[in-house]
Amino acid sequence: MRARWLREVDWVLIGATVLLAAFGVVALISARHGFADAGSFLRARALHLSLGALALVALAARDYRQLAGAWQVVYAGTLLLLASVLVFGDTRMGAQRWIALGAFGGFQPSEVAKLALVITLARHLEGVKSLPRLRSLFPFALHIAIPAALIVRQPDLGTALVLLAVLAAVLYVAGARARDLAGVAAVAAVAAPFLWRLLHDYQRRRLTAFLDPGADPLGAGYALIQSKIAVGSGQIFGKGLFSGTQSVLRFIPEQHTDFVFTVIGEELGLAGATLLLGLYLVWLWRALRIAEGARDRFGAMVAAGIAATVAFHVVVNVGMTVGLMPVTGIPLPLVSHGGTAILTTLAGTGMLLSIHLRRRPGG
Amino acid sequence: MNMDTAPWSPRVVRLGLIILLVFALIEGRLWSLQAIDGGRYLEMSEQNRLRDYKVPAPRGVIYDRAGHPIVTNRPAFTVSVLPMEVPDPQQLASGLAPILGVEREDLLARLEAGRARPFEPVALRRDVPKSVVMVVEERRLDLPGVIVQAEPVREYLLGNLGTHALGYLGEIAEEELQTRPEYRGGDLIGKSGVERTYDTQLRGENGRLRVEVDAAGRPVRVLSRKSPRPGHSLVLNLNATLQEVAERGLRGRTGAVVVMDPRSGEVLALASAPTFDPGLFSGGISPVNWRRLTADRRLPLMNRSVESTYEPGSVFKIVTGLAALGEGVARRDSRFECTGSLQLGRWIFRDLVVHGTVNFIKGTAVSCNVMFWQLGRALGEDRLERYARALGLGRTTGIDLPGEAAGLVPSSAWKQQVWKEPWYPGDTLNMSIGQGFVLTTPVQIARMTGAVATGGKLVRPRLARRVLAADGTEVMVFSRETEDAPLTLTPSALRAMREGMRAVVEGGTGAAAAVPGMAIAGKTGSAENPRGIPHAWFAGYAPVEGPALVVVVFVEHGRRGGEVAAPIARALFEAARPLLMPQPLGLVRP
Repeated sequence: MRARWLREVDWVLIGATVLLAAFGVVALISARHGFADAGSFLRARALHLSLGALALVALAARDYRQLAGAWQVVYAGTLLLLASVLVFGDTRMGAQRWIALGAFGGFQPSEVAKLALVITLARHLEGVKSLPRLRSLFPFALHIAIPAALIVRQPDLGTALVLLAVLAAVLYVAGARARDLAGVAAVAAVAAPFLWRLLHDYQRRRLTAFLDPGADPLGAGYALIQSKIAVGSGQIFGKGLFSGTQSVLRFIPEQHTDFVFTVIGEELGLAGATLLLGLYLVWLWRALRIAEGARDRFGAMVAAGIAATVAFHVVVNVGMTVGLMPVTGIPLPLVSHGGTAILTTLAGTGMLLSIHLRRRPGG
Repeated sequence: MNMDTAPWSPRVVRLGLIILLVFALIEGRLWSLQAIDGGRYLEMSEQNRLRDYKVPAPRGVIYDRAGHPIVTNRPAFTVSVLPMEVPDPQQLASGLAPILGVEREDLLARLEAGRARPFEPVALRRDVPKSVVMVVEERRLDLPGVIVQAEPVREYLLGNLGTHALGYLGEIAEEELQTRPEYRGGDLIGKSGVERTYDTQLRGENGRLRVEVDAAGRPVRVLSRKSPRPGHSLVLNLNATLQEVAERGLRGRTGAVVVMDPRSGEVLALASAPTFDPGLFSGGISPVNWRRLTADRRLPLMNRSVESTYEPGSVFKIVTGLAALGEGVARRDSRFECTGSLQLGRWIFRDLVVHGTVNFIKGTAVSCNVMFWQLGRALGEDRLERYARALGLGRTTGIDLPGEAAGLVPSSAWKQQVWKEPWYPGDTLNMSIGQGFVLTTPVQIARMTGAVATGGKLVRPRLARRVLAADGTEVMVFSRETEDAPLTLTPSALRAMREGMRAVVEGGTGAAAAVPGMAIAGKTGSAENPRGIPHAWFAGYAPVEGPALVVVVFVEHGRRGGEVAAPIARALFEAARPLLMPQPLGLVRP
């Protein structure tokens, strides 16, 4: 049994995960290089990665079906957690996303929610063999819309958008008609101007800054211009590790979190950035392969959901750094600093491994 | 591999292809950014740097009630430094200290504090003379990161006049930044007075200048500019003449004066002594001057009119008298025997004077302790407390100044809790003449006197009159606000109390406040206190028919209210004659 486990486990996925985490540690060291608090950041990261590794092993060893049993409880718990942030949460940088946790600092329920909702959605979809009509999508849209609304209230627009994108991906894999999904997207596009009025001022500024960074170079467009300069100036091979120019780098706020890709782009250049994107592609390839070969519909949906979550994060985060997407403040998986995000990504990887270990014969 | 057995397989593959496509898009973008335009971005990052300079918004002007400016701005230069541009802080501090005339350690501390926001200029010294600006400009290349910015500083056109009411400015404290996100490090903020209360209105909104600089830090060109929005100006209720008379009266003493229109709560003068020169703070106060101000045992920075509490002494007899009249314990013509002492059980309370037989009016005029002891004993501490609170004591008045003290109205429950002792009948006697535990601020006494003068309404004292935008449009107008006293005073009680207070000035203890031809009512106080010589009080109003002015004078350790406080009040009534006499309601309005 032990030998089978060693033979059957997806070593490629584990390898990609370890390399991504290592990339993250290097980027963190460089981003906090020269700051007095660099040590405390590294200690925190070590703690996040260790806890994440424990979660990964625990989830990989268990049968993922056990998670399917109590999905209503998980769903209700997630909603409760998200609601409690609004009530008890800490306000950091203008948004209420955190719950204080003493010595551990705090955790972000919305990060946990991403993984929990993939599981509950997959379970919800399990019994549905087909989605023949637009109307049949409604219960699942509601399934995600409620927690998304709570997250928007924090306000954390980025995470809410992640949930919607993952919903679309999972529904597609579950068999929803492409034109139904496209129709919903079209309606959303039309509704956008109305939603615009519901946004916070700073959110609107970020979005307009994306469309025209020159319009408000002193405010929201600032980070965008500076991050483009940082990434662009890295050229093909980068300026070398730890030698990103101070003047530009220090201009970038939150460099160890949302803008961590600027460190890689500037110091390791196109080569390093491509290597990082390549690692993500390997990870995603394995995740989707696991979805394909899953023993049951539930496993397939969970795996596809986790893959879509990570893919969307990478695309939006890097896209924002290089000026392809608006600044939304969502982390780069396993690389951005943030305990809850790292922990849940590793937990998700553990679930993928579990699904893989219990795949279809020959799958 | 047996992949096509699962119905979802083809869709997973297609999802993978979509992801691959988007990744390819990002890779393409990276290629264009780094491989194609990389050289240009490298140049931007290495040679041309962007810098943002704050363009300070001119702070709003403060006017007196006649519309004359009293606090304005004058152009000045600030020498600042961009922490991220400083290769060696030690060397820079050594080079700059003699030029700026600042301690080297002081500069280093400021540089260190600025490292948290390395791209924000840190002001090293404000309001530097032109000669220093020249030297800094000449030696620019030896002083990397040092910049000179134009930044106006406060100018006080009346010198020390009204310092405590106006307040002074200082750099925002680090802990204040945490709670006030609209401020930035190094911003000036009102530290006291109306400069603090109305800081949000006065400060305006800073602009920013984005400048491209070369490798040596010299500005090459201005890239963009966001103009500052000037602060709103503030029109106060202060009357410059009365303010001057008040401060002249307090000169050489420690004390406070409040002059208020009892009908509206408009504060016409508010003074505290000793005072200080607010101009010392204009360019950031020097450590030497700061130490001198804070080490002074007479506490010149403290605004005694609102921030500090004192025993009211006989001024409190207004409360005891109104309570006695209102509760039917005494009437105008009630007779009291004053033998110079009052026996209470085993104790004998002694006064210095024997007044013989007095009625309420006479007893008030001479401030007969024995009469008020008798009234207090008949009333009891609960009723005294109720009337004191109804007249606004024991809580803040809500005046638009920071740091207002609430004072203290004692009760038996309070004494039990704080002193762990029961309330003794002797405490009631002490309380009835404003001794013992009662503590008040001068502004509370002004509000109380105003309530008696106008018929029982407590008004909210206000220094601010209007807030005007830079283009002159009215942003805020402050109008009369009153607090409904929980008990209403009967007309007959008010009439008798006012008559008593009139008699105080007409030949009573407050005769020194009298102005020929002007009907003034008031009450004096000489409040014994544990810290030394009694405090001198005078609280009064005029004209008796149609009160338009309340004057409260407090002199710390002034000994006798009638001898020290009352003459200062007389000078104020005298100075207010043009406002009061021709037409009692004709106060000058701007």
